[in-house]
Amino acid sequence: MSWIPFKIGQPKKQIVPKTVERDFEREYGKLQQLEDQTKKLQKDLKKSTDADLAMSKSAVKISSDLLSNPLCEQDQEFLNMVTALDTAMKRMDAFNQEKVNQIQKTVIEPLKKFGSVFPSLNMAVKRREQALQDYKRLQSRVEKYEEKEKTGPVLAKLHQVREELRPVKDDFEAKNRQLLEEMPRFYSSRLDYFQPSFESLIRAQAQHQSLPGTSTPAWPLSIQVLAT
Amino acid sequence: MASYQEGEPPSPGENSGDESQGDEAIRILEKMKQNQRRAAAELVSTEAKYVHNLRLCASDIRSQLRELPEEDLDVIFSNINDIIKVNSRFLKGLEEANSEEEQLFLLGNLFLEFQEEMESTYKVYCASYNQAMAMVDSYKKVPTLQKAIQDVITAVVPQAGASGLTFLLVMPVQRVTRYPLLLQKILENTPPDDHAYEALQRATRAMQEVNSNINEYKRRKEIVTKYSKLEHLTVRERLARINTHSISKKTLRLSQLFKQEAGIVTRTEDREFDDLEEKFHWVALCVNELKSNVASYLENLETFLRIKPHECDLEMEGGAVQQYCCLTRNLHLLAFLEFKQRLERLVYHPLGHLSKALLGPQNLIKKRLDKLLDFERVEEKLAEMGSMTYEEEATRHTYQALNSLLVSELPQFNGVATQWLGQILHTLMALQRDLAQQVLQRAEGELAQLPHSHVSESDFRKVMEDTLGKTSAQLHSFRQSFEKVLPVPITQPFQPAAERQVQTLLSKYGPSKLYQVTSNISGSGNLALTLQRGQIVALLQDRDTKGNTSRWLVDTGGYRGYVPAGKLELYQVVPPEEPSMQAGSGDGFRFPPEEAPRASARAVTPVFQVVAAYPFAARSSHEVSLQAGQPVTVLERQDKKGNPEWSLVEVNGQRGYVPSSFLVHVPSPAPWGWSLPPCNSPPSHM
Repeated sequence: MSWIPFKIGQPKKQIVPKTVERDFEREYGKLQQLEDQTKKLQKDLKKSTDADLAMSKSAVKISSDLLSNPLCEQDQEFLNMVTALDTAMKRMDAFNQEKVNQIQKTVIEPLKKFGSVFPSLNMAVKRREQALQDYKRLQSRVEKYEEKEKTGPVLAKLHQVREELRPVKDDFEAKNRQLLEEMPRFYSSRLDYFQPSFESLIRAQAQHQSLPGTSTPAWPLSIQVLAT
Repeated sequence: MASYQEGEPPSPGENSGDESQGDEAIRILEKMKQNQRRAAAELVSTEAKYVHNLRLCASDIRSQLRELPEEDLDVIFSNINDIIKVNSRFLKGLEEANSEEEQLFLLGNLFLEFQEEMESTYKVYCASYNQAMAMVDSYKKVPTLQKAIQDVITAVVPQAGASGLTFLLVMPVQRVTRYPLLLQKILENTPPDDHAYEALQRATRAMQEVNSNINEYKRRKEIVTKYSKLEHLTVRERLARINTHSISKKTLRLSQLFKQEAGIVTRTEDREFDDLEEKFHWVALCVNELKSNVASYLENLETFLRIKPHECDLEMEGGAVQQYCCLTRNLHLLAFLEFKQRLERLVYHPLGHLSKALLGPQNLIKKRLDKLLDFERVEEKLAEMGSMTYEEEATRHTYQALNSLLVSELPQFNGVATQWLGQILHTLMALQRDLAQQVLQRAEGELAQLPHSHVSESDFRKVMEDTLGKTSAQLHSFRQSFEKVLPVPITQPFQPAAERQVQTLLSKYGPSKLYQVTSNISGSGNLALTLQRGQIVALLQDRDTKGNTSRWLVDTGGYRGYVPAGKLELYQVVPPEEPSMQAGSGDGFRFPPEEAPRASARAVTPVFQVVAAYPFAARSSHEVSLQAGQPVTVLERQDKKGNPEWSLVEVNGQRGYVPSSFLVHVPSPAPWGWSLPPCNSPPSHM
């Protein structure tokens, strides 16, 4: 944790065993990485859906600009073709929008919710750290008195300090234990949490890409004929 | 030219006077016939030689000119092969006709038959003749190649001589111009009532037509080449081009334009041309718009491909997450990339080419307008003066050529451009469809492996909602548990030395003797104390040495001195462990000489404030000065070494250490209205 040499008030003996410390570090490290990845994923997904929408919007622009050209009035064949293209593009855009909405609901929002747990976790870890510092401080005081000559006032003082130490120590231990319990659980909960969201992502891709012949045709029949 | 007579020989029974005339007639006729036959024979034989030479040129010479690259040879020899084909057939026809009775008639008809073909092949050759000559000249400048060429030619066609290729290549050009001449010669020697006369006449006219058409075609081509070159000139070059001629040209045009705008001169309305131009303009607009739209689409596609959500690492093996990452990666690398490349190749680049192809005609149209202005001016002048200079004639001609060129070719161009555009659009649609197919295929493949693949969409949505609700609740509980991580333990009850000091006073003098300072006392004179409001003191004597009862001697726990009695009020000591209360009157100046009976416990008011009991002067930077009675905030009950005799306090914005024994724990500065428990009030004393 904090690596300050010669800090006054550090206990002489190691009050928190190294293994416990290591475990804690490991678990917390994993969670920190998860936090980063979750944030990145959320950002990327948002950007990706935005780009997807931009693409289909510019596709619609292609066809609607064509439609507005006077050539369409003169040439019937041209008009037919451009109308078909326009219909197809607009439909594709509508489907895309739907897809993005679905993704927003079933993936991006849950991701945000998942991410919102992290600040609380970080706060809790900070509090544990604080408690640890207090604990260490008091412990060093106790040790100091223990080393002194066992005179009357010293003993009285020692007793008093020991009394002070006890609740702080309990508090730290409680915090430590609680976190050590909760963190792995939280970490493993991600599996249950993310799987459905990603499944929904794949489904969204499959559903809204549709072609003629499937349940939701995006391409009108005329396109089929023309595009062959 | 020739005089013609009856074709039949005069009867032998004519009178002798006519005999000599008749003989004369017969002789002339015979001569004509001979000439005719000679001319026809000449036609045939020259044709044969011509074709033979052409063949030599095309096959033998060309194949041996290996040092030259293919493209150059194409330019030099142009469509000589087509000419050979046409003329060989023509020759055969001539030779067949030769042996026939109605030779000349057949000849005439043959020409008519071949008229169109000849025109189309020769006009191409003649139009590119200049270019071919230019190429040959450029090769003349390279001595080694020139020698090689010369050798080949001398070997194959010795009579070509020093002029070499030039001599050979000019043959078709010469030939086509000779046909009318040859025909003319035959025609001369044919009596008008001859069967073949009409046919020959028509043939001659046809060949003349061919020649003039070829000339016209050549001229148009030259104009097009001249004006469709887009010149990218620097400013300097443009400036260099300005001379009197160009200035006068442009000013004349401008004045013509003004005249038209002002209505002085009528503008030549050419409805047909305007329609064509409009259509062309739309086509151009369509193409350019499409091009820029496709460009922006491609840009968006690129942006999309740059974002990679599938590259996140959630450390989850298998399952939907893995599948998603796989799917997206494949889509990005394969399907979308392919789509993008095809789009570029099959849609965007052709659009670029089409767009470039439009520039030439655009320039020509612009030039036509310029030439139109010139033309109108010339026409005006013609109307006025009835004649024009050679230059003006040329201007007129240029405009007419340009106009007819555009009128005849623009419709074709428009049609082709539209067709091309249509094809591009088809391609676009096909590409989109292919992409959609690919994505669907892959997605469905992955979908089949998912747990809920068989579930319908609406059911899946419900399942999703349920799951999300549950997990959301779970997350909420996590959050709660994290937030609940026990806050810092409540600070233990404050036991400052100050409070102990109060206890000391209490134990020394008894609760009845404790007074609180009501307002700041500033001591003057000897033994007078300076006290702060709220400070607790113990009464020692209620009069001073002189017997003045308005000055009392008090003990602050460390100092002793006199304070004005009016500023003291009986203090209710309310320590947490000792709830005994001191009875006192409302005025508070009573002081029972001995300890008053203790009242029953009153409720402890737990609101305490720490106050400095005595003044303290800081002796170092770690310490802070105190004034008696000053309220302080205790930050730490001990110093850094853990010594509780010093406390870290904050007072007046400053922080520092003060002796803990100087601090007193008092109830928060209450308005002077705490009700004292009803008790026997000691007699007031003033």
